[in-house]
Amino acid sequence: MADRAFDIRKQTGFTGIAIACFVMLYMPIILLVVYSFNAGTSIAIWEGFSWRWYTSAWANEQVQEATFRSLVIAVWASGISTTVAVLAALATTRTRKFKGQTTVFAMINQPLMVPEIVTAVALLIFFAMIKVATGYTGLFYLIIAHSAFCIPFAYLPIRARLQGMDLTLEQAAADLYATPFQAFRRITLPQLWPGILAGAMLAFVISLDDVVITEFVKSAGQDTLPTYMLGQLRRVVTPEINAISTALLGISVTMVIAFTLLSKFRN
Amino acid sequence: MRLLPRRASLSIGGWCVTTAISARNLRKTYPGQPPVHALGGIDLDILDNEFFTLLGPSGCGKTTILRLIAGFEHPTSGTLEMFGTSLLDAPPHKRQINTVFQNYALFPHMTVAQNIGFGLEMLGRPRAEINAAVEEMMALVQMTQMADRQTSQISGGQQQRVALARALAPKPKVLLLDEPLSALDFKLRKAMQLELKRLQTETGITFIFVTHDQEEALTMSDRIAVMSDGAIRQIGGPRDIYDHPSDRFVADFIGDTNFLSAETVSADGTTIRLSSGKEITVSGAPVQGKVSLAVRPEYARLTTEEAGLLSGTLGEVVYFGTDTHFHVALDDGTAFVLRQQNGPDVTVAFATGDRVGVHFPPATAQVLRD
Repeated sequence: MADRAFDIRKQTGFTGIAIACFVMLYMPIILLVVYSFNAGTSIAIWEGFSWRWYTSAWANEQVQEATFRSLVIAVWASGISTTVAVLAALATTRTRKFKGQTTVFAMINQPLMVPEIVTAVALLIFFAMIKVATGYTGLFYLIIAHSAFCIPFAYLPIRARLQGMDLTLEQAAADLYATPFQAFRRITLPQLWPGILAGAMLAFVISLDDVVITEFVKSAGQDTLPTYMLGQLRRVVTPEINAISTALLGISVTMVIAFTLLSKFRN
Repeated sequence: MRLLPRRASLSIGGWCVTTAISARNLRKTYPGQPPVHALGGIDLDILDNEFFTLLGPSGCGKTTILRLIAGFEHPTSGTLEMFGTSLLDAPPHKRQINTVFQNYALFPHMTVAQNIGFGLEMLGRPRAEINAAVEEMMALVQMTQMADRQTSQISGGQQQRVALARALAPKPKVLLLDEPLSALDFKLRKAMQLELKRLQTETGITFIFVTHDQEEALTMSDRIAVMSDGAIRQIGGPRDIYDHPSDRFVADFIGDTNFLSAETVSADGTTIRLSSGKEITVSGAPVQGKVSLAVRPEYARLTTEEAGLLSGTLGEVVYFGTDTHFHVALDDGTAFVLRQQNGPDVTVAFATGDRVGVHFPPATAQVLRD
């Protein structure tokens, strides 16, 4: 037994490094959550437990407005990007292999590879031209921008689900007189739902969380929750920021848990 | 070779034999380096109300024929007709053909009854009619009490019945079955063979059955097409194929066969000489000179060295329950297997190592091209 296979867990310092990693990852977040319940006005000195910052954030009109705007954008962006992602996933899995399929795949996932700041600057310039030409300065620009960078996040789980599906089921439907549309609606779509929901939720969370592109694209008075928080940090920092962050964290974690549960129902 | 099934050969009395599926020079080539010739230009006529089996080893092209008839693939060239109308421009959902898939392909998000009713629903039939047909089909395959089960909650054999009921419910003109019994255990497979035959007789639908199991093919079929390498080697009734194989491949693939080398003696090929020097009279050889003689193990019997057509030394004697196999090393070096049915009165007069003779009725031997 002298020549035991290499086991990384047996290396000196493994446990220490592992613990250090977890502490570095989660300590700041735990501190953030803890201080959101601080009774005092400091984000570093503990003065007792209280819900006051949650109440104050809840009552803050600017927070309300930014939250509402964030949700509107996230709902639209996840809806649009998921629809596009379903179509793209169908086109890349349910058609005969075509020339340049890999290129198409890379192009769909472009937002994952291009630095976000580059996209942000490009959109800023592009939308500025349109804003000048049309005079329209509404939320539409943010919705479009968010939809675009959310597509790959919605696309990947949907495509994975489609690839894992039994193709003979669709053939069986066609064999039983279902037109291609009926086969899609009655056989493919019901089985695709978990993938679609997972994709939509990922897109929703990604949109809710975005700062860089939003900061560049938004017009005056179009703060979303993350850009509002960024703006606040430049002024007075109170545990209110912690409370908002904790609430956002809660939403994201809920979404991720729901996503994991849905993936487990795959079969 | 008899081309028509037993039923059709009785047609003098006014039977009308219609062709259900007709293929001419049907060819399927898959592009690639090198291209794969899945089907090399076959001609095929499948009759109405017939239980027709495509039999062959995997990769012989039998499933390709099925997929071409169902419409999941398009032929490279050739014609394909159903009751005289070309199928080639019709997509799968416009063909009055249903398929029982090898993996059953039941819709996992629907109940047994919903699965069976799916075809009629897609055809836009009224609810009452669908319900009645589903009831009828579930009774036919004895699944009535399972109507509301999910397809994942029933056994493999039951899934198989549901797949069958689902394909039969729209009353197709032709039913395609792609090795539907291969996933079942031995006893269930036996039962389902009889069941399928019964269903085919009761419904009068043309069944086209694909299998690599020769026994399955022999038990159920009116006619069998034996295939290999994308070509049809022989078409005929089970007896024709078994007793009169057209070539070495068919003789070897269907059942067990001993091949003996022999030589024609008379000019008309009816007398041939065995390796032992003895001459026998047969119905005729396909060629002059060197030929192969195919002898079924159960048509041969052991006898004394002098009385046999061939002689050799008895090797292993293997007991199989219903019968016993005798392995004989013939004097010319060929291995020969005889099969003798066991019974209360059957005794074995020879033991391993004995000199023995092998005899068979010359009429049961098939003379084939070497």
